[in-house]
Amino acid sequence: MVNSENTKAQMRKGVLELCILSILSQGDAYPTEIIEKLKETKLVVVEGTLYPLLTRLKNTGLLTYRWEESTSGPPRKYYMLTEIGTTYLKELHLSWYELVDAVNKTINKQD
Amino acid sequence: MLLIKPLINKTKKITMNKTVTINISGIIFHIEEDAYEKLNKYLTTIRGYFNKAEGGNEIMSDIEARIAEMLQSKTSPIKQVVLMSDVDYVMDSMGKPEEFAGESSDNTSTENDTKENTYTYSEPIKKRLYRDGDSKVLGGVCSGVGNYFDVDAVWLRIALLLMFFFAGTGFLLYIILWIAIPEAKTTAEKLAMKGEKADINNISKTVKEEAEQFKKRMEKYGEEFKNSASNYKDVPRNSVEKVVDFLGDILLIFGRVFLKFFGIILVIIGVALFFLLFTSVSGISFAQGNIDFNQWIELLFLDGKDFYLAILGIVLFIGVPVVVLIYVGVKILFKIKYYNRWVNLGAGVTWLIGLILVLYVSFKTVSDYSKTAKVRDNIPVTPYNTLYLKMKEIPINTQELNISDEDEEGERNYRSNRRGDNDYIIGTNKGVKYLLGHPQLNIIKSQTNEIQLVVVKEAKGGDKYTATERAKNISYNVFQSDSVLEFDNLFQVDNADKFRVQDITVILKLPVGKIVYLDKSLENLIYDIENVTNTYDGDMVNRRWIMTENGLKCLDCDGLDENEDEEINIEKNVKIDVNGVDINAKDAKIKVDSTGVKIHSKESKVTIDKNGIHVDSKEK
Repeated sequence: MVNSENTKAQMRKGVLELCILSILSQGDAYPTEIIEKLKETKLVVVEGTLYPLLTRLKNTGLLTYRWEESTSGPPRKYYMLTEIGTTYLKELHLSWYELVDAVNKTINKQD
Repeated sequence: MLLIKPLINKTKKITMNKTVTINISGIIFHIEEDAYEKLNKYLTTIRGYFNKAEGGNEIMSDIEARIAEMLQSKTSPIKQVVLMSDVDYVMDSMGKPEEFAGESSDNTSTENDTKENTYTYSEPIKKRLYRDGDSKVLGGVCSGVGNYFDVDAVWLRIALLLMFFFAGTGFLLYIILWIAIPEAKTTAEKLAMKGEKADINNISKTVKEEAEQFKKRMEKYGEEFKNSASNYKDVPRNSVEKVVDFLGDILLIFGRVFLKFFGIILVIIGVALFFLLFTSVSGISFAQGNIDFNQWIELLFLDGKDFYLAILGIVLFIGVPVVVLIYVGVKILFKIKYYNRWVNLGAGVTWLIGLILVLYVSFKTVSDYSKTAKVRDNIPVTPYNTLYLKMKEIPINTQELNISDEDEEGERNYRSNRRGDNDYIIGTNKGVKYLLGHPQLNIIKSQTNEIQLVVVKEAKGGDKYTATERAKNISYNVFQSDSVLEFDNLFQVDNADKFRVQDITVILKLPVGKIVYLDKSLENLIYDIENVTNTYDGDMVNRRWIMTENGLKCLDCDGLDENEDEEINIEKNVKIDVNGVDINAKDAKIKVDSTGVKIHSKESKVTIDKNGIHVDSKEK
């Protein structure tokens, strides 16, 4: 039995970085907001995946954050794209479309 | 609808659970203990994954902040406590650590930031002894103990089963453990039950840790001592406190070791005592197979049930403290703090029942011995100048009652020949068992001119009346045929009367001038008969005695030599004359005459005659 779930999860994981950067390109957001958006599109199943990713992106300089007080809970970390992040995202966008194109062609040939 | 909702909440809340107050991302939560354990373990695992990753701390604090947010959304002023379901929700939405932790693994960096790691691994959950209700056969004792010692429960079950055949110790142990060890109900308890392995490594680790801590504390004390010594102005009270603290710590460590030791001792003593109790009780049950013993039980107790009540009472009275001993020992040994009021109450009540049973049966039985009654029966005797007194063996199959376990043959014979209070016999007559006793015969001077024979019957009872009735029920016969008086060798007790120290004393009142002949058979019947020569009972038989004003006087006692058996009577047994020498001793014979010398002894024979010397010895 081949478990397709695992492959799907791997695929989602691969594009997660692109999605997060895309969401942040539309405006600053704190993790819960990002998660909610990702959940709408069913890109994220477990929230835990997000945090290591955000930290990694921040550490590589693609993201930065600022603290904002919250009325109802702990202070929130609002993430935003850096300049490097913005250019990086553009590159990713390009390669993503190329990839989708290539993949689609491959799949369609198979049919 | 609005009214019903809080009601439901209320009924739910009736199951009380301990809550713990925790701080996540600076927000305070009240969380149920088991939920806390679960959450704590979850966070610990995540921390374990991210600890070495770059920015692990940051990831952790982000995750914690999110968890705090989620929990906050789950609590409200009405529902203030974080429940297990809330933690489950958090864990569900956050996902399993192994699911998302891989994200950072490709980016692992040097572990140089471990030093500034402000998180400490939460202490591994300390293992505690619990019963495992999830994989139980009976009460989950074996699976629980198996968890504790990391042994497969199957082996423990087999061992316990084998111990069951060993005086039932397995059964008792199981019950005690069942009562003493609490069942793991909450998740926290279940985690603690499976906690860290209690293997050698672990034990040595904890010992090392304790030693380390102890060392640190010692150093701290030393430091503080120095400081306070140099800063002479320092409050002296402080240093006194330090010393007290220090001594307290030492005492605590010694106390812990001692307590463990104490627990082991308690368990060992308890098990040994139980074994002793069990073997003695089963010994009694075994002895019940013995007819004599059974008979005695019937004879001693008013009611057959009383015996079993007495045994039960004794078992409870001694057994309960023994069981409590093991129970307390196990609790000390495994640091079980769980306290069950019903267990203590139950033990107390059971012990009291035992005490009451013992008291009841012993009081009931002993009180039946409290009064003594004597009944005198006059038996008419046809007068003769000389009466021949004999003993008559009554036709009954007797067997010696042997309560004192004196199995040696000699001892037995000695006992049966001696007259004492305990000389009773169980006899069978036509299939019916009877209690038989040895009567005593005494001969005294009659105040009148008539020969009188009085049988004094004696028995005990709860009151005078029953005692009298019992005495009357003793059957004893004396027959007269011409001048011969025959006394039964035994008296017989009515079976319904039990053993109540029944006794018979026969008194023959002899007027002055009358003569009695005491037959050899009377030796065991007569008891301390007074006579003018103070002759011992055994020497009074086979002789005629005449009653004088002063008492009995022997008629055939001339030539009576006290030491007949011990010394050789020179006149009788040694003959030296012209024919030779002839010595006749008890076991040896020496004869010297014209034919030669003959020496015969028990063991050997030496003959010297015309054929030479001939030696014959039994032992070759």
